Amino acid sequence: MLSKSQAKVFFLGGTGLFSAAFLALTVDTHRKVPAQTRQADITPAVARGKRIWEHNNCMGCHTLFGEGAYYAPELTKAVERRGKPWLRMFLKDPAAMFPNDRKMVNYHFNDGQIDDVIAFLDWCGHVDLNGFPAKPPLAEKMKATSAAPVVTMKPIPPIFDTMACTGCHSIGGKGGAAGVALGAPPLDEVYKRKSKAEIATWISDPQKIKPDTKMPKLPLSPAQVTEIADFLSSLGN
Amino acid sequence: MKFASQKVAYWFFASAMLLFVLQLVYGFIMGFAHIGMDGLHEWIPFNTARAVHTNLLVFWLLLGFMGAAYFIIPDEADCELFSVKLAYVQLIAFLAVGVTAIVGYHFNIWEGRKFLEIPRPLDYLVVVDVLLFLANIGLTVMRGKRYTTTSIVLYMGLLFAALLYLPGMISFDNQTMDSFYRWWVVHLWVEGVWELIMGGILCYLLIKLTGVDREVVEKWLYIIVGLTFLSGILGTGHHYYYIGTPRYWLIVGGIFSALEPLAFLGMAIYALAMAKKGGRKHPNKIALTWSLGCAIMACVGAGFLGIAHTIPQVNMFTHGTLVTAMHGHLAFWGAYAMIVLAIMAYAMPLLTGRKLWDSPLATWAFWTSNIGMSAMTGAFAVAGITQVNLERRMGLDFLAVQHEIEMHFIGLLLAASLFTVGIGCFIWNFLRHGLPTDEALGADIEAS
Ligand code: HEC
Ligand code: HEC
Ligand code: HEM
Ligand code: HEM
Ligand SMILES: [Fe+2]
Repeated sequence: MLSKSQAKVFFLGGTGLFSAAFLALTVDTHRKVPAQTRQADITPAVARGKRIWEHNNCMGCHTLFGEGAYYAPELTKAVERRGKPWLRMFLKDPAAMFPNDRKMVNYHFNDGQIDDVIAFLDWCGHVDLNGFPAKPPLAEKMKATSAAPVVTMKPIPPIFDTMACTGCHSIGGKGGAAGVALGAPPLDEVYKRKSKAEIATWISDPQKIKPDTKMPKLPLSPAQVTEIADFLSSLGN
Repeated sequence: MKFASQKVAYWFFASAMLLFVLQLVYGFIMGFAHIGMDGLHEWIPFNTARAVHTNLLVFWLLLGFMGAAYFIIPDEADCELFSVKLAYVQLIAFLAVGVTAIVGYHFNIWEGRKFLEIPRPLDYLVVVDVLLFLANIGLTVMRGKRYTTTSIVLYMGLLFAALLYLPGMISFDNQTMDSFYRWWVVHLWVEGVWELIMGGILCYLLIKLTGVDREVVEKWLYIIVGLTFLSGILGTGHHYYYIGTPRYWLIVGGIFSALEPLAFLGMAIYALAMAKKGGRKHPNKIALTWSLGCAIMACVGAGFLGIAHTIPQVNMFTHGTLVTAMHGHLAFWGAYAMIVLAIMAYAMPLLTGRKLWDSPLATWAFWTSNIGMSAMTGAFAVAGITQVNLERRMGLDFLAVQHEIEMHFIGLLLAASLFTVGIGCFIWNFLRHGLPTDEALGADIEAS
């Protein structure tokens, strides 16, 4: 059995050895991180965005790179998931998008600050995180049962991108990444389910019709509502 | 109590209990927010409640460690504290910094890095304050007639905890590097130097409470803290899997962090073995119960629930979910909250001369709080595993999943209420001891 002084040598020796190994790996990590994280892409806007992120303790509700709090969505892939137009609208007034849901603080950001935050999140989304977050392994199996969708060939008006519809809905075979998990249907065949008037009332204020819906109320002018409703119902002709 | 200057420990313990109660209040605010009852959102948004909850936790634990050191070091070094006045100054300054930070969090003033939210100017004050504390303790050790292993290990733990606070103050534009050094504080504290502090306090308690020979107890202390560093230093790699650091951390972190539970297992076996060997002859049984409970719950919360998500393939899916919160609660409770409560249960009768150790209230406090915390861990576990399956494995939307798991947070709140009753009993018992007094000098009882 070890004596007390041998136990002491074990403690001091082990600590010294493994501290040295840890420091060596730290030096190597410093060398490799710039390439792995695309450090060259850290523009002044990204750096400003990071400061906004820290000075408001966004990590106190959200996780980023899987670190933070468990109250609000993981944001590493937020730009990929939602698209920039959607995020821009959301950050202007978070409560307007999800009026009956868990609350985010409204920071009253100006457009420049919103651009900075999005630039920062965009940079985060492109860091090589060794595969995190993983693609949900069971999602494919669950989707396999549904039939192939019908896709319109007509050109899609730009308003669907600028007002973030294509963030959640696919139309013409494009978009919809953010809506998969929310159950946002493709818009190609809405005309079969809703009349032009119904589409217009729905998109003007979805929660008024269905209070627990995941579709947010978007800031559309009456002219834009008409434009969208006209286009979607025209797909049946 | 051998020396009048040990009395200062009481005020550290009392402040720690006060902050602990406040920590629980903010825990409830978050628990209710999780079930949609977020009426305080305008004044105390979730991120404020969270920063207050976790910072108060760290603050009261540090106060507890300091109180423990002020109680143990004079006894071990066999001389009066270097300066009692300095200890009071240091206590008041520490509380002032803490309270300022917490008030600031309600006005969106912080640094926004998990666990290290304190704004930069206050960081410097913390450092100065801790240096004062270390000087006071260090000078006491040097002035004393004895250098015991227990006091050296305890002192080293406190010293390195202070040194490791510094890397957390380096800042980078690169989020990955920020995170890299954040873990030098968070991980190397709880899975490194704090274990030295815990080991030192536990060792002291076992020597006093079981009557086993100091040489035997201290030899094992070296082996266990040796195991801690052997696994824990490179084990930091379990936080470097998915933050943008090189891939080899998956192997290094995976292997070494999987060894970390050995130190906790060793601690539990050692505590139980010493208690058996010594035959439990000290009349303060509840202090021994807290000490053994600490070693066992640390082994479950840190060791078992740690290894459950430390393998990279598992962590890929549990990383940043409520599974982490489950582990965080039981690990902090078992290892650090319980060791502070254990030293308090031992020290209070000696500081005040009132031997309330076999009151039913003291026993109630132990069992109710431990059953409550175990049930809280269970609630977090069910919520966490459901979240992992629905969100991370099936790909459902974050908020949709959160609504599915709301009922587990009702369970959490019920369990937390039980836990709070237990802590209430502990504090009531604490208060019944009254204030420390010189009449208690020399009234120590050694295990026979
Ligand atoms: C009080 C908690 C809280 C704080 C603080 C907070 N958020 Fe949020 N955030 C939420 C919640 C909850 C959601 C989910 C949507 C909703 O219900 O509003 C959200 C959603 C988001 C989204 C959309 C994510 C998605 O995939 O739908 C982004 C982007 C975002 N927050 C960015 C930020 C930034 C940047 C900050 C800091 C400046 C921040 N949040 C601070 C609670 C918070
Ligand atoms: C945050 C994601 C999101 C965004 C952005 C979004 N939607 Fe939706 N939308 C949904 C979801 C989810 C549903 C399904 C609602 C339900 O049944 O509760 C939906 C339903 C609809 C429907 C009804 C579909 C049907 O088959 O009945 C229409 C029409 C629609 N959205 C149009 C739009 C338009 C136009 C825009 C852009 C101005 C838009 N949406 C933006 C998520 C979104
Ligand atoms: C007393 C000791 C311990 C305490 C107090 C503790 C506490 C915590 C806390 C609070 C976190 C969250 C940290 C953050 O996200 O900032 C965490 C994370 C973690 N802990 Fe521990 N821990 C302890 C020991 C261990 C041990 C021994 C292991 C492994 C065997 C372990 C494995 C992990 C892992 C893998 C994570 C990361 C979780 C994630 O990816 O989200 N912990 N721990
Ligand atoms: C009244 C009892 C308590 C309740 C209701 C409670 C509730 C919570 C909640 C809801 C969170 C936030 C999880 C999230 O981000 O969504 C949290 C975080 C945390 N709590 Fe508690 N808590 C309580 C007591 C405690 C105690 C006694 C300890 C320590 C011993 C503790 C340590 C922690 C830690 C370390 C975290 C951060 C976890 C992480 O980041 O992974 N809590 N608590
Ligand atoms: Fe760790």
